[in-house]
Amino acid sequence: MTASPLAAAVGISKRFFATQALDAVSFDIHAGEVHALIGENGAGKSTLMKILGGVYQADSGEIRVDSDPVRYATPAQALDAGVVVIPQEMRIVPAQTVAENVLLGQVPVRSRFGVLPEVDGPEMRRRAAGLVNRLNLDVDVDTPVGRLGYAERQLVMIARALGRNARILVLDEPTASLETREVERLFEMIEALKAEGVGLVYVSHRLDEVERIADRITVLRDGRKVGAGLRGELSQSEMIRLMTGRDLEQDYHHGGTRDPGKPLLDHEDVKLHEGEVVGLAGLLGSGTTEMLFRLYGANKRHEPRDLYRTPADAIADGIGLVPGERGLGLVMGLSIRENIILPNLDRLKTAIGLDRKAIDTLVTDLMETVDIRPNDPDKLVRDLSGGNQQKVIFARWLAGHARVLLLDEPTHGIDVGAKAQIHRLMNRFAEEGGGIVFASSEMVEVMSVSDSVIAMRSGNIVARLTRDGDYTERALRDALGG
Amino acid sequence: MQTEKTNSNARIKEFLWNQMPLIALIVLCIIAALVSNRFLSPININNVLMQGAVITVIAIGMTYVIVCGGFDLSVGSVAALSGCICAMIMLEYGIVAGVVAGVAVGAAVGLLNGLIVTKLDVNPFIATLGTMVMFRGATFLITGGRPVVGDEGLPEPFLNFATERVFGIPYLVLFPIIVFFVFHWLLHRTAYGIRIFATGGNTEAAYLAGINVVKVRTSAYVWCGTLAGVGGVMLASRLQSGQPTAGIFYELTAIAAVVLGGASLFGGEGKLYKTVVGVFIMVVLANALNLANVHSYWQQVAVGVVIVAAAAADRLRHR
Repeated sequence: MTASPLAAAVGISKRFFATQALDAVSFDIHAGEVHALIGENGAGKSTLMKILGGVYQADSGEIRVDSDPVRYATPAQALDAGVVVIPQEMRIVPAQTVAENVLLGQVPVRSRFGVLPEVDGPEMRRRAAGLVNRLNLDVDVDTPVGRLGYAERQLVMIARALGRNARILVLDEPTASLETREVERLFEMIEALKAEGVGLVYVSHRLDEVERIADRITVLRDGRKVGAGLRGELSQSEMIRLMTGRDLEQDYHHGGTRDPGKPLLDHEDVKLHEGEVVGLAGLLGSGTTEMLFRLYGANKRHEPRDLYRTPADAIADGIGLVPGERGLGLVMGLSIRENIILPNLDRLKTAIGLDRKAIDTLVTDLMETVDIRPNDPDKLVRDLSGGNQQKVIFARWLAGHARVLLLDEPTHGIDVGAKAQIHRLMNRFAEEGGGIVFASSEMVEVMSVSDSVIAMRSGNIVARLTRDGDYTERALRDALGG
Repeated sequence: MQTEKTNSNARIKEFLWNQMPLIALIVLCIIAALVSNRFLSPININNVLMQGAVITVIAIGMTYVIVCGGFDLSVGSVAALSGCICAMIMLEYGIVAGVVAGVAVGAAVGLLNGLIVTKLDVNPFIATLGTMVMFRGATFLITGGRPVVGDEGLPEPFLNFATERVFGIPYLVLFPIIVFFVFHWLLHRTAYGIRIFATGGNTEAAYLAGINVVKVRTSAYVWCGTLAGVGGVMLASRLQSGQPTAGIFYELTAIAAVVLGGASLFGGEGKLYKTVVGVFIMVVLANALNLANVHSYWQQVAVGVVIVAAAAADRLRHR
């Protein structure tokens, strides 16, 4: 690897509000190699890739392509330079055909009667078919993409990248929603692209895949580069140690063994008692979110397995949900105060409006308890950092004296300080007799905070881990199938 | 020190942006007064207030729907339908029955709009475009396309509402002020008001916070229909008859007023007093152009330019 890299990010720093997402991170990609970028959620992987792809601008540092410094203002400029990022949430147009999606933005045009420009359908199909065949994808290019499965859509995206003569291809958690057989096909394709001299970045937290496919590995933690190595230089346990800052088999911090109290939730899949934390472990799309929605009555298709019919019923029973996407929980255009009192309005009503004094006392107390900054109840939630937004939802349920909290990835994408605060809040809530169901894809975290863990995969419960049984991360990884 | 200064500068800037509609209205009034010495005459001020009265009531209802994330194109037709039914019932059963019928019709069709949008899940724009045409047609059907006046006209006390004064203020102007205070309280001071803002701002989050979003959204349409009905009754009093062609373009004026007042068409943002400011920007602009003898065709062009410019300025601010 003596040749100069295809592209390099040098000393990149990026801040979002209070969060230092990246702190002087350097990263490079050579032709014909797979460079894996690993780290826990919120480590800065996606931010770095978005800067490389021109979505974000770095606060400081430099992007170089072929050793020349470049500044992309838009993703389009990055595309022109041959850098293609395939994000987890794919940008496809479901109603359009495979051919149209593959050649989106570069539709071939011919002239009708020598003057009228129109789409050259046959040429488009021919070119799309060529690209699709290169990936061994067996679909009719006239099929609307909406009818394809996730794995095939992903290949359509990659075909589009090939059509743009991608020299650097960034795959962000490409296997998150794939089955084993589909993963194999993806890996074959990666090998083929490597042979063609494409530089690939493989962003993932699935370590066995990384070990298999990566020529080089870079580890990020909390926005910093904490380690790097060539193939075979880093073992899986070393990677975990670097990613988490702890040893794999280290005894996780736990709020002390709690004697389970009276039952709080009695669902066929999830039983929860006073003072108990039940972990719900699963990767993206494993059904943990749906499980929480069933316990909360938020399932849009009502099923017999739902514990409640509407969220209002669940709230009346003292259950509160902290959704995974903060946009689902908060009204961004309303103030901190209004977001906190939103489910508790009926208790704060008077004959002639709202009990402003009671509201002010309540909100001020809670903002102090959960430590929301800035300490200004009139601040719009939109203007808060992710961690503080999360605390607003917590405060909302504490205000309502909830007995049960359903948490969906509550620490996803917030900085370490805020993460520790959320953990402390959870501990206190459980110590005071509340019960928590904690859904997360971060195995280390879910094991450390829970009394027992339910492992989910493709919508089904595949294992139950209890502290008196085999309560190890290895057992959980085995159950989830990595 | 430096940051404190920039902070206070930012605050002043924010305040000026926030009060832009009011500032625009004041500037507009000053220009109008400079252009024509008749603008500030008592007769003209009375005119302006009278012209703004009905549309203010309708625009208040429109603000509820828009803040709740919806849209209502049918209010002009509802005003005509309510006004005509009010006049017809009044001729038969007296003033109280007529007024109650007119307002009740508004509430009922508002409920219909709300149910179409929430239960049938029809896009509000299309749903109320349909009911707008439907209600206008119904109005022509029940009136045969002729004004409703009866043989001896509508009862005297009902007509007096539009002409008589208390403390020198016409009833027709006093009434919207009362409506404003009641609905301002309801929107900005109650739990219900917060639910409207939350539902309009993020329906999913409001639902997950236990709010019955279907009920809240429907209620906003009911208020809008009710106030359009009230507007229709006021209009019948002012026009001394039920006019099947009344209220044409009122929906556009009301929506323009809400937007001029800075409310977001995506829902979740808006202030009721700013809607009233928006109404009077429209009314004063038309009045001033009249006083300056600008041809009515040019007036329309000018009003259109103002609406587009206001919306564009708002986008620039958010950039």
